Amino acid sequence: MTVSYLVTQIFNGLVAGGFYAILALGLSVIFGMLRVVNFAHGVMYMLGAFVAYYGAQLFHLPFFAALIVGPVIVGLFGLLLEVTLLRRLYKLDPIYNLLLTFALVLIIEDVMRVFAGALGSPYATPEILAGVTNIGVTEYPTYRLFAIVLAAVVCGVVWYVVERTPIGARIRAATENPTLTRAFGINTSRLISAVFAIGVALAAFAGVLSAPNTNVQPSMGDTIIINTFAIVVIGGLGSIKGSIITGFGLGVIAAIGAVLYPPIANTLVFIVMVIVLIVRPAGLFGIREGAR
Amino acid sequence: MIRPSRLVRTIAMLTATAGIAASTVAPLPSAAADGGPIKIAVITDMSGVYAGLAGPGAIAATKMAVADFGGKVLGRTVEVDAIDHRNNATEAGTKAREAYDGGAELALDMTNSGTALAVAAVAKEKHKLAIVTGGGTSAVTGANCNKYTYHYAYDTYALAFSTGASIANSPTGKKWYGIAPSYAFGDQMLADFTAAIKYRGGEFVKADRMPLGTADFSTYLLSAKNAKPDVLGVLNAGADTVNTMKQVKQFGVDKQMKVAVGLLFLSDVDAQPEVFAGSRITTSWYWNEDKPARAWADRYAKAMNGLRPTDIQAADYSAAMQWLQAVKAVGSTDADKVVAYLDGRQFNDFYAHGGEWRARDHRVLHDMYVVDVLDKSAIKEPHAWFKIVQTIPPGRAFRPESQSVCKKDW
Amino acid sequence: MRALVAAGNRGLLVGFALLAVALVLPHFVYPVLAINLVCFALFAVAFDLLLGFTGLLSFGQAMFWGGSAYAGTLLIAKFGAPFPVALLGGIVYSAALAFVVGLLAIKRTGIYFAMITLAIAQVQYFFALQFNEITGGENGLPIPSRGGAFGLSLENDLVYYYVALAIVVLGVAFVVRVVGSPFGSVLAAMRENENRAIGLGYRVERYKLATFVMSGTLSGLAGVLYAVGNRLTGLDAVDWHTSGKVVMMTILGGIGTIFGPALGASIFESLEYFVSKTPIGDKTNLVLGSIFLVIVLVARRGIVGEIVHALRPKLVDEDDTAPRKPNVAEHVPAP
Repeated sequence: MTVSYLVTQIFNGLVAGGFYAILALGLSVIFGMLRVVNFAHGVMYMLGAFVAYYGAQLFHLPFFAALIVGPVIVGLFGLLLEVTLLRRLYKLDPIYNLLLTFALVLIIEDVMRVFAGALGSPYATPEILAGVTNIGVTEYPTYRLFAIVLAAVVCGVVWYVVERTPIGARIRAATENPTLTRAFGINTSRLISAVFAIGVALAAFAGVLSAPNTNVQPSMGDTIIINTFAIVVIGGLGSIKGSIITGFGLGVIAAIGAVLYPPIANTLVFIVMVIVLIVRPAGLFGIREGAR
Repeated sequence: MIRPSRLVRTIAMLTATAGIAASTVAPLPSAAADGGPIKIAVITDMSGVYAGLAGPGAIAATKMAVADFGGKVLGRTVEVDAIDHRNNATEAGTKAREAYDGGAELALDMTNSGTALAVAAVAKEKHKLAIVTGGGTSAVTGANCNKYTYHYAYDTYALAFSTGASIANSPTGKKWYGIAPSYAFGDQMLADFTAAIKYRGGEFVKADRMPLGTADFSTYLLSAKNAKPDVLGVLNAGADTVNTMKQVKQFGVDKQMKVAVGLLFLSDVDAQPEVFAGSRITTSWYWNEDKPARAWADRYAKAMNGLRPTDIQAADYSAAMQWLQAVKAVGSTDADKVVAYLDGRQFNDFYAHGGEWRARDHRVLHDMYVVDVLDKSAIKEPHAWFKIVQTIPPGRAFRPESQSVCKKDW
Repeated sequence: MRALVAAGNRGLLVGFALLAVALVLPHFVYPVLAINLVCFALFAVAFDLLLGFTGLLSFGQAMFWGGSAYAGTLLIAKFGAPFPVALLGGIVYSAALAFVVGLLAIKRTGIYFAMITLAIAQVQYFFALQFNEITGGENGLPIPSRGGAFGLSLENDLVYYYVALAIVVLGVAFVVRVVGSPFGSVLAAMRENENRAIGLGYRVERYKLATFVMSGTLSGLAGVLYAVGNRLTGLDAVDWHTSGKVVMMTILGGIGTIFGPALGASIFESLEYFVSKTPIGDKTNLVLGSIFLVIVLVARRGIVGEIVHALRPKLVDEDDTAPRKPNVAEHVPAP
């Protein structure tokens, strides 16, 4: 195994990890605030990619605009879902909202199949990011470098907002103690809606970012969401830091694992998850036990 | 409240009664009373990834065949039943069994190898006919061959020996780099391509295997670039192929070497033309290959909103027509009689050139075409994506009879 | 507790009604559909034993259903084992798997449990896909012949149906028995108040593990019956969509009502079958998903649960607003 090969592989891991991290981040933010595991997160990722696709087809929407428009549209859609559906079930066991979002997966995927077919829709890499860049030991596709950097930036921004700003403080407070937060006059209901919309928008962002790289089709969120579930379990549900580090970390581990023994690539994430569960049941960065 | 122990006894008694009752009941009378319609069950993927290459178009093509035949055979009307297997082998097998029990005399299409093998097994069990057009695995006429199943359009062997041999024939097509998924389809494709190019003095310098659903092919593509082969063999299927080809363009791999795609249909190119432009593939038929093909394609297009048929849809028409003629000739829908009539029979139509129903393993032979996928800028009319570069005669396109691995037990 | 007893009593009526229908079913519908209905009914009942009586939502139950389907199919297809041996092999496999997975997952509750079971089920799915020399991979593993059992040839769909039905009835009766036993009383106590049960000296985790193993084993039994009935085991058996399907069936029928899930499974499977034959057949998931959405939003007790609730004697003091809740260990989020 040459150095350039290994470096390439690590970069590939970072690309995959970037997507995992953004998705896990969205899941975590939503979970932290709403105690809802959003099964429809993968669907939101898919919708993001389709907004980019239809935007380009119908309105010649450029890729960089889609990076903003996609999350906004899907975020608004998420807001609609939160206000009309999810909100009704907060008083109950969180499992009901998991089931609700599962139903949404079935419905939205089928609807998209009616519109777009199952085969996949073309989405080209933006001109400016096409081609390869020399990174010293080897050449690497420019678009992928861009994806790594952008994913890292987005993760950093979310982390900063939640951990270091007043609005983040409110979010954390509402997560830790909703009743007390309300007593301080903070409108938690609106905060919850906003957080769900943002979490979903993050998924859509990942979707737009993946559009030039992968086949845009209705079930594209299926596999990635289950991997993301495993990653948030490993990182610790609700932990922002855990999502980011685990996302990138497992991306790289899986990429290297795939080189050493290809058949293990799909299962490596789950095997790591099982090991972590045995050693540290709350996840690597889980602060509180998720369950008594 | 009824006490559980009593409950268990009650249920056990009820069940025992039912069991005795069951063993005496006669099976359901078959719905296919003589004089009723003759049914053709088109078992296909109506909305999944293969809906474009077969699906509704396969139904339309089969209906065209029935209409062209006059809508009747042996004085009975012919009906076409559309059955969606949803790419689920279990479902395909069960639905095929139900269709046969409900009076279907022919199962057609079976796009997706798993469903093809499942339906073939049911055909064998029920002694009814199945003609596979959409499914690709050469096991249909190999390890899983049976008396009641024909393989009509293409198979993995034919793809490999057409595409592979065509490229490896040239002096700049000897060194190959393979990208194949690590499951059954990939194993088959890699084995077939290896044999095909070896026959022409070519070889795989390396073949990477990756799991199904791999989103990132960059490692393999960069490794391929470093290996500097003549040809990149993309031997996966469906969404994986699209992902691979997208990244092939991203890395500019296609500028450095020839790209051969193992399995690709007109509908795939229709969906994502940029992604496949420049690749070399094999097809069993092309709608613009000659005048009769075009004439049929025009009629199809009229019925299907201007869409052009894939080779599978054309094969469905052709196979349905052949079967109807056979039924008429033998005066019966009985599968044994129809098989006896078809075995060894030679024929020609707009789809099959030099066609033969090979008796040895039930492979249907005909010309295959190696084509290059044109760029959007180079096509003269919509859907005219292919340029035929070579016609492979039946004898060379398919596995020779002498090498057949079918254990003929009929 | 009183509500549960009342539900159980009326539930039995539902059970007998279902059995009456099941006895004549294959004379009205295609027999293999009837086979599928009773197999999924047992699967859902087994699932309800876990979800309804411990509150644990497994989102990977297909690992037992599909895993033992593969085990049973392999025994028949590769080793020519007779049907009863295949059944036994499937049961042993799913019991062992459930024990190991249970040890790992049982300490967690709620969505953690759901995600962990889902993830472990995915591992098995990829094994089934990857080791295609054993499992047939995406082509599936066909069963050349169902063989015979108890002196009967199972090749006839009707005969097989009644044999399967007898086994399913025994499986369901077993669940009814377990729930009505002292063991079931402990489960009920745990569900009412887990801490109190711990305080009373019950080793809660052991009870949960035992229930998980029973549920997994019965799911596996149903899976083998299904595989042999359809003469093929494919990847769909271990796919996460199948795990989702049994969750939907159970909730549609009514969590914790035992016979409700059997009814739910029958309705769900029939719907899937009949919708797939209509012009909107390619949108089956849309139809099923929409129905499920409505159930989750407004009728969480499920069909049987809602009926039992509507007919309940008014003196039974029951929380009128909340449905029967699975055991909640997570704290309630902001309203």
